[in-house]
Amino acid sequence: MATRRTFLKLAGAAGLAAPSLASAQGAARVVVVGGGFGGATAARTLKQLDPKLGVTLVEPNPIYTACPFSNSVLANLREMSQQQFRYDGIKAAGVTVAETSATAIDALARTVTLADGTQLSWDRLVLSPGIDFDWGAIPGYDEAAAQKMPHAWKAGAQTVLLRQQLQDMRDGGLVVMSSPPNPFRCPPGPYERASLIAYWLSIWKPKSKLLLLDSKDAFSKQRLFQDGWAQLYPGTIEWVPLSKGGKVTSVDPATLTLTTEFGSHKADVANVIPPQKAGAIAAKARVADRTGWCPVEPVAFESTLQRGIHVLGDAAIMGAMPKSAFAANAQAKVCAAAIVELLAGRAPQQPLLINTCYSLLAADYGISIAGVYRPDKGLLADIPGAGGVSPLSAVGGLRGQEALYASSWFRTITAETFG
Amino acid sequence: MGRLLLPALALAFLSGGPAQAADAPPNGPPGASSCTGCHAPMKVTDSVIPRIAGRKSADIVTAMREYRSDAWPSSVMGRIAKGFDDQQTEAIAAWFAVQPE
Ligand SMILES: Cc1cc2nc3c(=O)[nH]c(=O)nc-3n(C[C@H](O)[C@H](O)[C@H](O)COP(=O)(O)OP(=O)(O)OC[C@H]3O[C@@H](n4cnc5c(N)ncnc54)[C@H](O)[C@@H]3O)c2cc1C
Ligand code: HEC
Repeated sequence: MATRRTFLKLAGAAGLAAPSLASAQGAARVVVVGGGFGGATAARTLKQLDPKLGVTLVEPNPIYTACPFSNSVLANLREMSQQQFRYDGIKAAGVTVAETSATAIDALARTVTLADGTQLSWDRLVLSPGIDFDWGAIPGYDEAAAQKMPHAWKAGAQTVLLRQQLQDMRDGGLVVMSSPPNPFRCPPGPYERASLIAYWLSIWKPKSKLLLLDSKDAFSKQRLFQDGWAQLYPGTIEWVPLSKGGKVTSVDPATLTLTTEFGSHKADVANVIPPQKAGAIAAKARVADRTGWCPVEPVAFESTLQRGIHVLGDAAIMGAMPKSAFAANAQAKVCAAAIVELLAGRAPQQPLLINTCYSLLAADYGISIAGVYRPDKGLLADIPGAGGVSPLSAVGGLRGQEALYASSWFRTITAETFG
Repeated sequence: MGRLLLPALALAFLSGGPAQAADAPPNGPPGASSCTGCHAPMKVTDSVIPRIAGRKSADIVTAMREYRSDAWPSSVMGRIAKGFDDQQTEAIAAWFAVQPE
């Protein structure tokens, strides 16, 4: 075991310096699996930085549905169509798009097998498959249960289902949400969702309440959210932390009941956000460890388990960097530049990365958390003194300004990612 | 040849003077490719975040210094600018300055 690990480590280190054989013989090939914020950005940036590279993006869906701002869709502040993006811009940039799934990966032979049976060879592989749910982590919560108690944590049909359930609910009903343990996609996301559902309830179903059951005792931007809830929706949102019985131990989809260590809650609408892990292809490629997530080095995001495979975005363990669309896009640009250097036999530069996550508490009330990161002891670490959250007391219309910057950010990042 | 060019490049960076597009690494110096998540290289309709591509390098450096010291009020730039020292900021500014406006 130890010997094998040491070998892989050494091999990985050697891989950083040695030019690949294929690139010496002809145009190098990079395959990118997953056309979300990480993968689509990586594919496009690779082609932009080195037009001679052969770049194939593997993604089964012809239309990508973005999660950021999907909580605004629940609150009827946006149309679903504003969340949807096609791959025409990526194709126009010279990327070959294979509209199918990757089903197997062989790190030694350097191939990826697609659902239609095709096999692609690569000099470098980029995986950005996002998340999958840990079905079975909450007894009673499986894919069938998600049709009754939607997660809406992959935007699309689930978002529409949850919105419909909210619209069909009686006034005076109880919405119950459950928030997963760390780490998970979009740490402030459940709390933004609770805010925007409360916003919508306050207009359309003002007698209703929202119970937020949490598997944690603390959460992202907590003071800002709780201050905002008290100010905007007094008495509407009740947050139950882990220590007060917030952890959901089982659910019954037939009766919309969520059970915790402290008791049971019957919901009129139930939104269960289950525990998560890296997208399934990561485990098949053997780049996921026992935690279910993928360890990577902090310069080119190459897997520490398999040489030549880079992992981005939600699927990867990125040290202090959270799982966000902003982060996946930023990592993808760094990774693409590093791959171009590696294929040319040069060492990639030590990167610096930024993350910023905006959250809305109402249509015109935005808050943010930011961080700046650098490689440190094999992980991405926070640069001390930088980053942090919006000030607790807002002056001069700051919350309204941040709401505007949030939507500007979404337009910018989607334009950069999908063209 | 590459060797002979190096001192000139170093000078261009140190002085914060105009750098040639070819000087910078392909996707910019460390950090620059994260700025573009908000300050896009292309024009984005309906974005109220100011554009910085093609702006004078000295102006970008000044703004970043003022944000860093909280001398200028900002919503988010103060928190971001504190992650970059003078040298890193100058390299990023020089790169943005030569991007198409
Ligand atoms: C409600 C909500 C709100 C959010 N709000 C924000 C926000 O305001 N700001 C922010 O920065 N982030 C936000 N996020 C987080 C953001 O959506 C994710 O962090 C981001 O999508 C991660 O990008 P990714 O590339 O890792 O994965 P994804 O964007 O999920 O992309 C993965 C892609 O891989 C494809 N794929 C998976 N397996 C395979 C396979 N085997 N073969 C081929 N393709 C495959 C999938 O079809 C998918 O298109 C939010 C998330 C949620 C749920
Ligand atoms: C999360 C989005 C975001 C990121 C990332 C970001 N900026 Fe900004 N930038 C803004 C906003 C918003 C403003 C307006 C000031 C404010 O409210 O913070 C701004 C203002 C500026 C300005 C002043 C422009 C003017 O015309 O007044 C400069 C210069 C600037 N940013 C440089 C940078 C650099 C360099 C980086 C990367 C190191 C960066 N920004 C990263 C959002 C961002």
